[in-house]
Amino acid sequence: MIEFRAVNKMYGDYQVLADINESVGRGEVVVVCGPSGSGKSTLIRTVNRLEEIHSGDILFDGQNVHARMRGTQLNHLRSRIGFVFQSFNLFPHLSALDNVILSPHRVNRVGRAEARDRAMSLLERVGLAARAHAYPTQLSGGQQQRVAIARALAMEPPAMLFDEPTSALDPEMVGEVLAVIRGLANDGMTMMCVTHEMSFARDVADRVWFMDAGRILETGTPAAFFGAPQHPRAQRFLSDLRSR
Amino acid sequence: MLASALAIARDNWLLLLVGQYPNGPLGGIAATLMLSVLGIGLAFPLSVLVALARISRWRALRAPATALVYLVRGVPLLMIIFWVYFLFPLLLGTEVPGFTTMVCTLVLYESAFLSEVVRAGIEALPAGQMDAARALGHSYPQAMRFIILPQAIYNMAPSILSQFVSTIKDTTLGYVINVPELTFAASQINNRLLTKPFEVFLILALTYYVVCFSLTQLATWLERRVARRRAGPALVVVAAPS
Repeated sequence: MIEFRAVNKMYGDYQVLADINESVGRGEVVVVCGPSGSGKSTLIRTVNRLEEIHSGDILFDGQNVHARMRGTQLNHLRSRIGFVFQSFNLFPHLSALDNVILSPHRVNRVGRAEARDRAMSLLERVGLAARAHAYPTQLSGGQQQRVAIARALAMEPPAMLFDEPTSALDPEMVGEVLAVIRGLANDGMTMMCVTHEMSFARDVADRVWFMDAGRILETGTPAAFFGAPQHPRAQRFLSDLRSR
Repeated sequence: MLASALAIARDNWLLLLVGQYPNGPLGGIAATLMLSVLGIGLAFPLSVLVALARISRWRALRAPATALVYLVRGVPLLMIIFWVYFLFPLLLGTEVPGFTTMVCTLVLYESAFLSEVVRAGIEALPAGQMDAARALGHSYPQAMRFIILPQAIYNMAPSILSQFVSTIKDTTLGYVINVPELTFAASQINNRLLTKPFEVFLILALTYYVVCFSLTQLATWLERRVARRRAGPALVVVAAPS
């Protein structure tokens, strides 16, 4: 579904992504973890080309994301990749419902009434049907992030990317957001998720990728990775996490 | 002095309000407001285009827009009035009425200033808004139309209204090319009375003050109202016990 082939990215002399060769299969849930500054967020943002790369290829559903293409092609490709941001990025001038209606209506040309019905059922799915007419500032962080997930799902993407979806949340709101993501995983959604929530990774991930300094140093099932990490950097990272 | 000012106002209120109309061109406050409304009203859509050109990634759009803004901001309004006044008839080959000249000048001048306001509004938005729009598959024009501009213009509404207030004050310069607006009307009265300049210009000053002050009050009220609507009832809690 998502395939990285020899991907490199530089910021000046600094190599943010170094020789990334990995893939996410259809229906697979991959959790990307690693210390901050390791390139996790950059990696996930290259998949829908919010970040450019310097060499290599990224295939999404067989399509080369970083190939030369017309703007309309890129827009269409992006509309098929659900993306959830750390800082939610809901549109503050629109109600929760309108946040979810806007893109299917304007990008996919779904009729307003139909888009509205689908938006309502998505808000119901994330437990926020009662708050449909609230504006983002009236919602808690956890509620905003759930609306953001509904907004991404409204485009009916075959895969979802989560960029630290719970890092900006108060601890008591992390659970409600993770529950929604867990539900998606159980429904068979292909997902890539950057997160520091290790217990979530253990429960939901099919595979864990460990990154440091722009490289994927280790990949494995959660049981293998958390039980017996191979790379010394991963061992140190996990023991730091546990001692916190 | 106050009594005689009141007497002058009572005798000349119609001239101050609409000028010679209906026996001559519309003047007075009516003309001043029409100049301002037309000036800002036509300048606003233009200013959005100029602002978009200013932040465009294409040099061919960016360069002329930037040049226009720097040029207009670096020249006094009176200079632009003269340029338009003398140049337009030459270019068009026909006489251009003072009122039209003034509207064109104001549109040119205010669109340069407003475009900077709009640009600031766009650039003040968090980058995440554009990221989210693009991630959902919106094209750049769509993202601007549905996501960025509505927020930018809303955030800048107070500045846009205050620009409208300065436009009202800028219309006084129409006097130099004989546009029959409010200052022109006051000057006519002054020329007729000859001995009462303080009273006449006191009336003029008060009239401008009343119009501009009520507009700034309106702007403040509007700002609060919309802010309240957006913040929502959740934020109306005055003080939470700590």
